[in-house]
Amino acid sequence: MWIWIVAALVGYALVRVFAGYPAAAQPAQALRRRELALVAAVSDALFPPGGAVPESGREADVAGYVDRLVAASQPRQRVLMRALFFLFEHATVIFPAPGGPGGLRRFSSLDTEQREAVLERWRTSRLFPRRLAFTSLRALCTLGYFASPSVLRTLRLAPFAIDTPVCEADLWYPPIGASRASVRRSRADLTPPASGVPLALDAPLAPGYAEPRR
Amino acid sequence: MSANGVDLRVFADYDRDVTESVDVAVVGSGPGGAVVAKELCDAGLRVALIEEGPPFTPAEYRVDGGISMARTMREGGLRATVGTVMPTMQAICLGGGSLVNSAICNRAPDFVLENWSERFALKHTRAEDLAPHYDAVGSYLGICETPENVLGRRNLLFRDGCRALGIESEPISRNVRGCRGSGECFTGCRSRAKQSMDITYVPDALRGGATVLTSARVEVVRTSGRRATGVAGHIVAPFSGKPSHRFRVDARAVVLAAGCMATPVLLARSGDLANRSGQVGRNLQFHPGVAAMGIFEERVDPQFGATQGYQSKHFLRDGFKLETLWAPPAVLAVRMPGSGHALKQRLAEVPFAAIWDAIGSCNRSVGRVVVRRGSLDPRLEWRLHPEDTPILAHALFTLAEIYFAAGAKTVLPGVHGIPEELHSLDEARILKTHPIRPGDLVLGGNHAFCTTRMHGDPAQGVVDELGRCHDFDNLYIADSGVFPQCPSVNPMWTVMALARRTAQALASAH
Repeated sequence: MWIWIVAALVGYALVRVFAGYPAAAQPAQALRRRELALVAAVSDALFPPGGAVPESGREADVAGYVDRLVAASQPRQRVLMRALFFLFEHATVIFPAPGGPGGLRRFSSLDTEQREAVLERWRTSRLFPRRLAFTSLRALCTLGYFASPSVLRTLRLAPFAIDTPVCEADLWYPPIGASRASVRRSRADLTPPASGVPLALDAPLAPGYAEPRR
Repeated sequence: MSANGVDLRVFADYDRDVTESVDVAVVGSGPGGAVVAKELCDAGLRVALIEEGPPFTPAEYRVDGGISMARTMREGGLRATVGTVMPTMQAICLGGGSLVNSAICNRAPDFVLENWSERFALKHTRAEDLAPHYDAVGSYLGICETPENVLGRRNLLFRDGCRALGIESEPISRNVRGCRGSGECFTGCRSRAKQSMDITYVPDALRGGATVLTSARVEVVRTSGRRATGVAGHIVAPFSGKPSHRFRVDARAVVLAAGCMATPVLLARSGDLANRSGQVGRNLQFHPGVAAMGIFEERVDPQFGATQGYQSKHFLRDGFKLETLWAPPAVLAVRMPGSGHALKQRLAEVPFAAIWDAIGSCNRSVGRVVVRRGSLDPRLEWRLHPEDTPILAHALFTLAEIYFAAGAKTVLPGVHGIPEELHSLDEARILKTHPIRPGDLVLGGNHAFCTTRMHGDPAQGVVDELGRCHDFDNLYIADSGVFPQCPSVNPMWTVMALARRTAQALASAH
């Protein structure tokens, strides 16, 4: 009898800890549901809606960016990043977030104030490995936040449009993954080298970063 | 010889195992290998230049910092030392680090070369010995000071702060022609102004008859007695590194220019080659870097201007060099304190910010490169020596001085255990008084050296002054691993100068 009760409690705890994540809005390339939930929760704590830069981490699709970054990474780095996500998502199951018994939940289930408090505890820890783990996670989310063209436009940090000269090497180097036979350029396509004319601060922005037409 | 009259192979074109026979196999196409390949072609030798990464064109560059690193850097840009944890990046692409560095060109200071000569029994590596090689490379690449019209306010504020304090400073000399100040050196120059190896030395080597194998990972150096007989490995897919066909290059001589991390791993995996001295993989040094951010009242618009356009070598003998810095905003923001709305407030200050950094000459901080089981990636063991930490603290304080002299209202030093914001020079003095530990600093270490150091005594070094391995008649090394100590300044020009000398020695010997 007791065995069944204990098993049921353990099962319930496992479900609370590892299951019940919402489906992703878009198919993920590399991350699992729980990892997407964790990154989205962290990004919203780091970059909440409103304030000096209006866009939130969720609006900037930080989770989608981190998913693409993990997909582009090599296996060993993927393992390390996944371990980092697991650590943050489940550390609060053992070391509760400030605020009483309600803090004994996985990170993505905490409320906003609790998430911010937990991250601040990691950030200011006296233990170097904890600070390092926080810095690593924040770095991934920050990369994602700054990948948002809207965020970059707000800060006037979006890349400029640049006319790229065609040099002789461009007649030989194909797109990565393509055959050299795919290079269609000839010497007639060569252009003068870089002009040395400084870019203007109000120069047009690179494709993909300009304000969308309404 | 394929289309367009040059023999360049890319991943998609390999449809079978590859075997080549040449005079010299050069492993690595960065500033060392590319120079060697071109010089040997000029000397009439048949050369195979072998590069693990693919060629990149501007269409392949990504201005997004994270994705760019994942595509162009080994281990996706997440490589780091253990001991004192410090990220360090090595490129994997045709042209090597020259594609994604900020093109800084400094000659090694005379006092450094004198020290090398005296301490490492090097009779022909003084300034006057290397001058012809520096000159030749400088002339070929058009190395010159960054023009004032593309410095941007971020660089000019540094100049102004240094002038106010009487600190010597200068525009940085770079291998750049026609810079437009896009500040995108680290993600690839879309202006094609940076004279990286892939558009300079490598094309000249191709024109000179070299075979360039890209996406070719060398896994073993083949030897017979005291002679290297070639290299072998696998063709690997770009980015994933998944192996496909095998390749083998037979050669009368081999030059390893795979970089300070990869060359010792390659030697070790080839049967502990060239290691009678026991120095292969040892003596690993970096220029550990620290950075601080200054916030000004008026807009700095730091995204405009040469990525690293100004520097001060005033404190070289004190152990550090100062320079301006720009990088993809996301990479810089990683250093900012706080989270939530406080962090967002900080981000909003970036257009008013200048970022400057210091690199330290930390000769006491030594580590080693170790072969990682089942991988060609190295394990990097390195610790910042406690006596070197004050050098970096001194550098940060000096940066704070320059910031305040230039009119900054706030300085963010990025050091754990001291205030996140400093509002005056008085407050900044805590950088001198507070006991800072290595783990308190946010370090970066992108110049690495000494893992196959040159030494006049074969018992104490891996190569001689000409880059030839003491234990071999025809195996050479031409990357920053041959430096006997860190050079105190950015190493690329010195790598190229030494590589040119090695190529000339090899050409005359074979």
